[in-house]
This record gives sequence, structure tokens and C-alpha cells, in this order.
Amino acid sequence: MSKFAEPMARLIDELKKLPGIGGKTAQRLAFHILRASDEDADLLANSIREVKASLHLCSVCNNITDVDPCVYCSSATRNQRLVCVVEEPTNIAAIEKTRSFNGVYHVLHGALSPLHGVGPEHLRLTSLSQRVDRGEIDELIIATNPTVEGEATATYISRMLKSFPVKLTRIATGIPAGSDIEYADEVTMAKAIEGRREL
Amino acid sequence: MLKQSDAIVLRTYPLREADLLVTLFTREEGKIRGVARSAKRSKRRFGGALEPLTRVRAYYDQKQGQELVRLDSFDVIESPLMHDIDYERTVALSYVAEVLDGLLPDHDVNDAVFRLTLSVLPHLEAGSIWMPLTYFDLWMTRLMGLLPELGACIVCGDELNGSGRVFFHALADGLMCAEHKRLASSEMSLPSRQLAAEMFRSPVDAFAAEPWKRQRGADLRKFLAQCIERHIEGKLVTSIALAKLD
Repeated sequence: MSKFAEPMARLIDELKKLPGIGGKTAQRLAFHILRASDEDADLLANSIREVKASLHLCSVCNNITDVDPCVYCSSATRNQRLVCVVEEPTNIAAIEKTRSFNGVYHVLHGALSPLHGVGPEHLRLTSLSQRVDRGEIDELIIATNPTVEGEATATYISRMLKSFPVKLTRIATGIPAGSDIEYADEVTMAKAIEGRREL
Repeated sequence: MLKQSDAIVLRTYPLREADLLVTLFTREEGKIRGVARSAKRSKRRFGGALEPLTRVRAYYDQKQGQELVRLDSFDVIESPLMHDIDYERTVALSYVAEVLDGLLPDHDVNDAVFRLTLSVLPHLEAGSIWMPLTYFDLWMTRLMGLLPELGACIVCGDELNGSGRVFFHALADGLMCAEHKRLASSEMSLPSRQLAAEMFRSPVDAFAAEPWKRQRGADLRKFLAQCIERHIEGKLVTSIALAKLD
């Protein structure tokens, strides 16, 4: 017999499915929802329903959006000919935080990962090459992660698009700002020296 | 007191919110699994050392009776990221990692396989993966005791001499003569059999200068991959990716 009433046990089970939520946290959250006002509980339930119902992928850049094209692709103030290629929609937030990029994006929804069975056919590469083919892009900044998978994806894209008259660039890798060289790992340090610039 | 060992990172899996479960092939203790705490959130302790087939000096702590070790830190000795990376090379590196992970039993010290991996890795460069992969597959199957006798038919026992045609099949545990081949068998060419014999006699460096197209030894690699897949009782995910390479 469950130690909680059936609806409560069901809520705890559902919350436990969320990343980073264990049994105890799920219980705490469930009791918090139970104690919350009807209005707050309705807002939470509706938000979850709405996320599933109204969000989809942008037809241009594959970002998650509630309007199509997304806010970046439909913005008149952004440089639509400068495109930053990222692995996941969450990467966009990190780039936007810098406030130094005024172009638009293309989301691949992953990186080439042979160990996980992810090949070129699983990424949003066809729509990228179509954007380039239509002559919509002057420069493509490849901002995949500086991992083996991210580097392989970057190289793959550069080879795929080598016949097009588009400038291809790769984000720099190296020592994080505000850190200490003493604590930099060997690979990062080697990349930083390799990618040094003239002053 | 922390243990330390020369090791090769095989693969990582996400564990909880910020940790990674890491499979390592260590020289001193064979294949072990450990937890790299907060490795997803902070790169300070492990940096780029958790990429597949990075050779590291691993520092870890193992409590008695616990299956997973606690990984303290890694010093990178050689990283695949230090050389050009392309998709072909990534597939090849992933293949080697998957084969090692699939074939090596936990906590079984195997210095010969460790040395084989170290000798092959420098040759796995962008644009030249087929020779080192053939060498790795051949020696890996032999060192793990999975390679059948290549000189005789497994059905009749007759010697498979140079002039006769030789066949293999995914479900047969060795080579067969033309008379005893199964339906839908593949043929192994004479040059591939000669290549295998040559690879048993020479170090991998001896083949490095030769031009090596994908077709060379393809039948031998297919036979060896089938030996490996029969042993692990499943299809290697990365062999599918290898087959799709141009």
C-alpha cells in the first residue's frame, strides 16, 4: 500500500522523472504544490500544458519558439546575414548574455556522436545548407562545443559548405576570462597558445 | 591515499545533475568505472581530459567493496583534441573506445592490449584511419582470444592455401573453404589474408608509410568486426557509422 494518497503518489512519481529531482525533493515539491493556492497550482499546470501545446521549432533556424519565425529570425534590427551555428537551443542564451552578437542562429539539435549513434543525418544540416544555398548568409560562425564531437561537427560543416561562397569561422578556445593560467588544463592551454593573436 | 595509473578514457555517461560516470582502461587495474563529481558543471578538475581515448595519468580513490571509484583528477598525457579532428577520425576513435569497452572485462589487467592501443592511437589521424583500424582489430581479436585459426577450414579442417577461395559468415566461427561455405557468405581475398599474416609479423609503424585506401583489407575488417560482435552478442554502434563513411 502506498504511504500517500493515490493522486499525491502519482504527482511525486511524475516529479521524480524531472532531471535532478530525487524522491525526497519530489515529495517536498508535491507538498508545496498541495499547500499552494488553487490559483498558483492552476498557473503551474497551465504553464506546463502551454509549453507542450504552443512551442515548436522555428522553420528557419530550428530554435524552440512560440511564434514562427522566431524572435531572432524575424527581428529587423539583427544582421540576418550573420549566422551562428549552435548545438542546442540552450546555447543561444549563453551567446545572448554576451550582448556582443547581433546576428541570428541555426540550431543543429546535437553534435556528431558515433558512440551514441548520432550521424550527420540526425542533425539539422540540410536546412543549414539550404539557407547557405539560397545566398542568405555572408558569414557562418560555428559555435559547437570544443569537444571531440563538437570539433568533428564543425569540420563536417566546413567540408559540407566548402563549395559555397560563404565565410566560415570557428569560435576561439582558450583560457576563461578571470581565471588563472596556473589552473588551466593541458588541452586548454595548448589550444590557447595555438590560437594566440598578435597584439 | 590516492591510487594512480596510466589510463585511457573510454567513454562517459551523465550521472545525476552534474556528475559523469567514466569508464577508464587503466594499465594497473584494467577496466574500471568511476564517478567524476561535478565534471559537467566545472571543468577545473578534469578540463578536456574526459574526451574518449584521451591518455591520462588518473588519480582515484577506491573504497573496499565499492564498485565505482571516486575520480580525483586527471593529468592529460595525450589528447585527441591536440590534433586535427574530423568526422572520420571521430568515428574511428569512437570505434576503438567501443571495442575496448565491449571486450575488456572489468578489473582485468591487460598490458598487451594497453600497449596495442597506445601504438595505434598516434596513427589514427584525420584522413588515414583504415590501416590503424585494421591493425587494431586484428591484434585485439587475437589478444582477447577471439581470432579463429586463419589457415584451415573450420568445417573440414583442410588447409586454406593461397590459391583456393576462402569465405566467412557472420554466424560461423572461422574461415571456410569454397566447398563448405554457408549461404550468403562473404569472400576474403588472398591479399587480405597475406596482409593479416604480415601484420602479425610487423609493428604498426611499418605500415604507416604505405598509401591505404578504404577498400584495402575491407573484407578482413568485416570478418574481424563479426568476430567481435559475436563475442559481445550485439552490433557495435560505431561499426554502423564506419560503414556509412564515404
